[in-house]
Amino acid sequence: MMMIGLGLAVLGAGIGFGLIGYGAMTGMARQPEALGKLQTVMLIAFAFVELTFLLTLFLAPGTFNK
Amino acid sequence: MDSVFFTNLLPIAEASGGEHEGPGYFGLVFYVGFVLLLVALVVWQVRKGLKERIFKSPITQAAEQMYLFIENMCLNIIGAHGRKYIPFIGTLWLIIFVGNTVALFFPTSPTADLSFNLSMALIAVGYVQYEGIKGHADHLRHAGRDPFSAWFVGFFKHMSHFSGPKLGLAMIPITLLIFVVEIISELMKNISLSLRLFGNMHGGHAAVEALNTVGQPIYFPIGGFLLVVKLLTVVVQALVFTLLTCVYISLVTHHEGEHGSGDLAAAH
Repeated sequence: MMMIGLGLAVLGAGIGFGLIGYGAMTGMARQPEALGKLQTVMLIAFAFVELTFLLTLFLAPGTFNK
Repeated sequence: MDSVFFTNLLPIAEASGGEHEGPGYFGLVFYVGFVLLLVALVVWQVRKGLKERIFKSPITQAAEQMYLFIENMCLNIIGAHGRKYIPFIGTLWLIIFVGNTVALFFPTSPTADLSFNLSMALIAVGYVQYEGIKGHADHLRHAGRDPFSAWFVGFFKHMSHFSGPKLGLAMIPITLLIFVVEIISELMKNISLSLRLFGNMHGGHAAVEALNTVGQPIYFPIGGFLLVVKLLTVVVQALVFTLLTCVYISLVTHHEGEHGSGDLAAAH
């Protein structure tokens, strides 16, 4: 059951990553001169999405942090 | 083969991933010392090349590129006054990057230990709070207060940022609620910074060990293929940690700029 939960968590994080990547790529294609700024903001957004998954991972007891 | 490909791989992976432990206290001290030694050696080599008028030594050129990268990040995110924070951000980046690079070649690394990451995050977030209070205190001292009361009032001014917008007397419960939530989110910054780095590094080690366990029956270290992913993680995590520190610093210093920019401009 816990594994299903983790799988769902990965699903959500994956959708989040995909949306961020999609948004950043469309932005870069439309405005290549803003590439640096977009990359910075993209990485920050990645970090936040990643954190939600990591929190899930660490709060799910006994699977990862024994 | 049968037992590998036709059973649930999760118990195997879980067993080996769960067994992966951090370096322990002595090991952590050893690895931190190792990282510091590595950084010191590199910096020593870099300093040798600084004596020439044009940097010819490749290691000095690489260090110059690194410095330009850090400077760019500080100036882009924090703003024109970000030059002051380059040493701090640069130190964090160097330690995290070298600590992460150790993770590529060794079974464990200092950044795969939560205590090391948490101490770095505490330093970073604590410095951010200090800068926030110092901004207010400096502003008050320009206005003619004595240092002690300037720091005292600056502390409360910094704290008042956590209570959100001024809502009036009737909304005191909501202001209190905002204050509590903001304090929690401020404390969560420590946890988020450290847990992100720890999760990525520890997860990388655990995944490699788990894949190696899975590959044992065919005598092939499958975990080696993860080296590429780990290389990406190493660079991105060092970047993300410093980037978020920059963002926190910029949030604190921008607040101060918004409130007192007119007065500061008049004072100068």
